[in-house]
Amino acid sequence: MTALIGESLPRPDALGKVTGAANYPADLVRAGMLHLKVVFAGRAHARITAIDTAAALAYPGVVAVLTAADVPYNAFGLIDHDQPVLCADTVRFQGDKVALVVAESKRAAAAAARLVQVSYEDLPIVTDARAAMQPGAPLVHVARGSNVLFSIPIRKGDVVQAFAEADIVIEDEFSTSWQEHAFLQPEAGIAYVDEQGRVVVETAGQWLHEDRKQIAAMLGLPEDQVVIRYAAIGGAFGGREDLSIQHVLALAAWRLRKPVALVWNREESMIGHHKRHPITVRCKWGARRDGTITAVQAELLADGGAYASTSQEVTKVAAIFANGAYNVANVWVDAYAVYTNNVPSGAFRGFGAPQAQFASEIMVTRLAHALGIDPIELRRKNLYREGDIEATQRPLPPGVSVRECMEAVVTELRTRRIGDGGQGREQSHATSHLRRGIGLACGIKNVGYSFGYPEQATATVELYGEQAIERAIVRVGAADVGQGTHLAMRQIAAATLGLAPEQLTLITDDSSQAPNAGSASASRLTLMAGRAVHEAAKAALQQWQDEERPAIATVQFRPPATTALAPVTGEGTPNYCYGYVAQAVEVEVNTLTGQVQVLSIISAHDVGRAINRQQVEGQIEGCLAQALGYALLEHFQVRDGRVLTPHFSTYLLPTALDMPTEIVPIILELADPNGPFGARGMSEMALVPLAPAIASAIHDATGAWVTQQPMTPERVLAAIHAQTQAPRAGSTE
Amino acid sequence: MIPGEFQYFAPTTVDEAVSLLQQHGEDAKLLGGGHSLLPAMKLRLTTPAVLIDVTKISDIKGVSVNGSVTVGGGATYHAVASNDAVRSACGVLADCVAQIGDTQVRNRGTIGGSLAHADPAADLPAVALALGATITAQGPGGARTINADDMFVEMLTTALEPNEIITSVSFPRLGAGAGAAYEKMRQPASRYAIVGVAAYVKLGSDGNVAEARVAVTGAGPKATRQDATEAAITGTNGDDAAIAAATDKAGEDMDYLGDIHASEEYRRAMVKVYTKRALAKAIAQARG
Ligand SMILES: Cc1cc2nc3c(=O)[nH]c(=O)nc-3n(C[C@H](O)[C@H](O)[C@H](O)COP(=O)(O)OP(=O)(O)OC[C@H]3O[C@@H](n4cnc5c(N)ncnc54)[C@H](O)[C@@H]3O)c2cc1C
Repeated sequence: MTALIGESLPRPDALGKVTGAANYPADLVRAGMLHLKVVFAGRAHARITAIDTAAALAYPGVVAVLTAADVPYNAFGLIDHDQPVLCADTVRFQGDKVALVVAESKRAAAAAARLVQVSYEDLPIVTDARAAMQPGAPLVHVARGSNVLFSIPIRKGDVVQAFAEADIVIEDEFSTSWQEHAFLQPEAGIAYVDEQGRVVVETAGQWLHEDRKQIAAMLGLPEDQVVIRYAAIGGAFGGREDLSIQHVLALAAWRLRKPVALVWNREESMIGHHKRHPITVRCKWGARRDGTITAVQAELLADGGAYASTSQEVTKVAAIFANGAYNVANVWVDAYAVYTNNVPSGAFRGFGAPQAQFASEIMVTRLAHALGIDPIELRRKNLYREGDIEATQRPLPPGVSVRECMEAVVTELRTRRIGDGGQGREQSHATSHLRRGIGLACGIKNVGYSFGYPEQATATVELYGEQAIERAIVRVGAADVGQGTHLAMRQIAAATLGLAPEQLTLITDDSSQAPNAGSASASRLTLMAGRAVHEAAKAALQQWQDEERPAIATVQFRPPATTALAPVTGEGTPNYCYGYVAQAVEVEVNTLTGQVQVLSIISAHDVGRAINRQQVEGQIEGCLAQALGYALLEHFQVRDGRVLTPHFSTYLLPTALDMPTEIVPIILELADPNGPFGARGMSEMALVPLAPAIASAIHDATGAWVTQQPMTPERVLAAIHAQTQAPRAGSTE
Repeated sequence: MIPGEFQYFAPTTVDEAVSLLQQHGEDAKLLGGGHSLLPAMKLRLTTPAVLIDVTKISDIKGVSVNGSVTVGGGATYHAVASNDAVRSACGVLADCVAQIGDTQVRNRGTIGGSLAHADPAADLPAVALALGATITAQGPGGARTINADDMFVEMLTTALEPNEIITSVSFPRLGAGAGAAYEKMRQPASRYAIVGVAAYVKLGSDGNVAEARVAVTGAGPKATRQDATEAAITGTNGDDAAIAAATDKAGEDMDYLGDIHASEEYRRAMVKVYTKRALAKAIAQARG
């Protein structure tokens, strides 16, 4: 039955989702349920001097108004508990929550929310990451004494000497901006206290057991008194890793002993949850005439926003990829995350890798130009090989396949006869202001948790029947955020057990019924939860053969250990697995307006082993849409801590018209040593190289380098103008 | 995103509407398709206590083509865009309104509402200026006409009195030797003009440009004629060099507004790009 592996089985949840039969969190109802409305701060930084809830409480239909005083343990966060559930004395960003209004109708809750009178004394704000690091900057968290949330150095070799001996050195600064997850379904859910007195929260999220842990801590309850269930999840992309509404729903239900529902509108969602980190990268790259890249020095500065969220992990990930997927003997990185009064930054597909490699991939192409070497050749010379040493001074985990990815892209380019020095390259209309160009970039991103974080996934497989196995139950707490993980688990279990997929029942979305498989993040579920399911199925099968009826096996899978990074040198084993990717794009640039149309994308991925080929292609294509938005369109604008683009009329997402007519996914299957059937994670990879590939294509078309993401028409045009007017500053090219 | 409370009237004649306006004074606002007014009310930028819906007044909903093209103030964009007689008599008008917003906006938004609202990013004002349209408005004292050139006073402000209703707008027929075009860079989500340029040219018997009107919208606080461009192209043979020279003068002497969609500098550059396109297209059309 291993024939099931790789098969493009249709998604069991697809029909319900397209017909509307599936229940998303906003569809959940319970008799007598109340409605919750969050009162946001609406300002970037202020002291709360008074909260007057009398008028709101007096509003007809209002049941309760909850404030900080109602929260048993008023602090949460994935790493540091530095975020209040409800602010007691200080608000630090626009989306901080101050009060919760619970009423018998949505309308009453909304009307009464406007009547909650909060008196503020505005405080000085700091909204620029660099300014936040200066002495004397307003402090976002006074008790910390500094806005530096986290910093990490990485030191390998001797960059000073390497730069001194380099034949060519180039330097530049790159900036990336926030990105909004823009999942189709804004935050929603329902919470209640069940017959057993447990707090139940039915919602969407990325990790049942982590949500449970944080909510239990907030309420001061043992974890088994809290149950998290996921309804159909309308996308996540990292945006549901932090608690947004799950905890306030639990709080209201627990306090009132009544079912409480909440549905955020798009604006609340845009303002209320964290974003991708804006990161500024200042970097310097050195190489020898023969094309050996000898040194990389980089300073990465991430705007963490008002609360810690996962900033320290994102910053480390960005830091270890300052040299991209290249074997560089001398590396010096200083990476910082700082607090500001902006929206918090946190997890988002790619988790620091896209920001770092926007800079590194452009630098590699520019080095190639400066050296007079084909950018593909330069990459061939320097890309990671099996056994190479990372910037953290330890060997890469086995299964290094970035070269194979690039060669697959190059072959595809050649067969299409594009990018071969102009031959066969279809020039667009004779008009000179529409110029076409080709760009190529590679990428690397960790699969699974990094830096010594305890990584595990647990699954249970139960086999029932008499002579033959008639049916099986697979329990694995893995969130299907739309990526198709439940079907992947089903295919892995069915293939291992030799059963038809329909013979399996999956229990995946209830923290009291399914064991902890970790989060739907870091492209890890197929590898981690999939391996746990695979091992549990094998163990159950063994028991079955030993005549146990029913045969029930629970297995916890732990991958090879990683380590924390040493504080002074950054030395350590950051990861147990990497995903690799390479892409080539063709673009057409309107040199009069700066508008960029992407004409085609070739995207090659080493997925180890495709469990469901169609799902893998879906992840590549979907991720490319998000990557294209990131590269060209999605400009999350904030002024003085206020979001200027809280709607899709102002925050532009790609549509069908923006996507290229041609997307060529290339799926390589070079087995990973840990993944089930050799599978490795791939869901984030397409986001890593697309922006720098497009930047290189724009350069190929126009001669101009755009160093700010997103590459809006305005920025592209400015770069074209700057390029025709003056030689590029800060470069010895 | 919920508007304040208001009273609603739906008169069926212009006179009735005018007297309601008189009666409620400052508190009242006319309601056309609601596609500018309602968003403003939802954001509580405006909180009229009385809304007088003009879309039930059948007299101001017509579209007719005779010596000129006459469009009722209450006619929808869709009614104009889908009218074949309009398309052949004054194609630029049909083209322009067909590019406004999305289907819902075109099905409800009205010609009178657009001109009365005078949004800095609205399309129609540029075409009205380039074509030299005349607007007929009725108030308590009767009807009067306003030349498009006098209509747009400043951002969101027109020459209309608060108690006047736009009953119709008249556009010229584009005969032989005349051409007009509207070219815009649209904001991708709303389709509002980041920059829009309307150009009208009339060729003389010698084939040279005898008359030209060019107007820009989207770039600044209000739609604006481009006198220098018009002067530069008039009298020329309208070839590429002449268009380039006239384009150079576009947008030199006007106020700009930057916003989250585009900066002032970018809009300044786009005024030239789109002026060139509009002029070239209008001239080609005039040549037939
Ligand atoms: C999503 C969206 C996209 C849009 N895209 C575009 C676009 O691409 N291009 C563009 O130009 N516009 C666009 N618009 C605006 C749209 O064209 C508006 O409909 C138009 O500006 C107003 O017309 P209306 O009939 O809806 O007027 P309303 O919104 O009803 O009224 C607007 C103003 O005009 C007054 N008024 C209405 N009728 C009359 C009348 N007969 N006489 C006097 N005063 C009157 C009202 O009192 C009010 O002050 C868009 C709007 C939306 C919501």
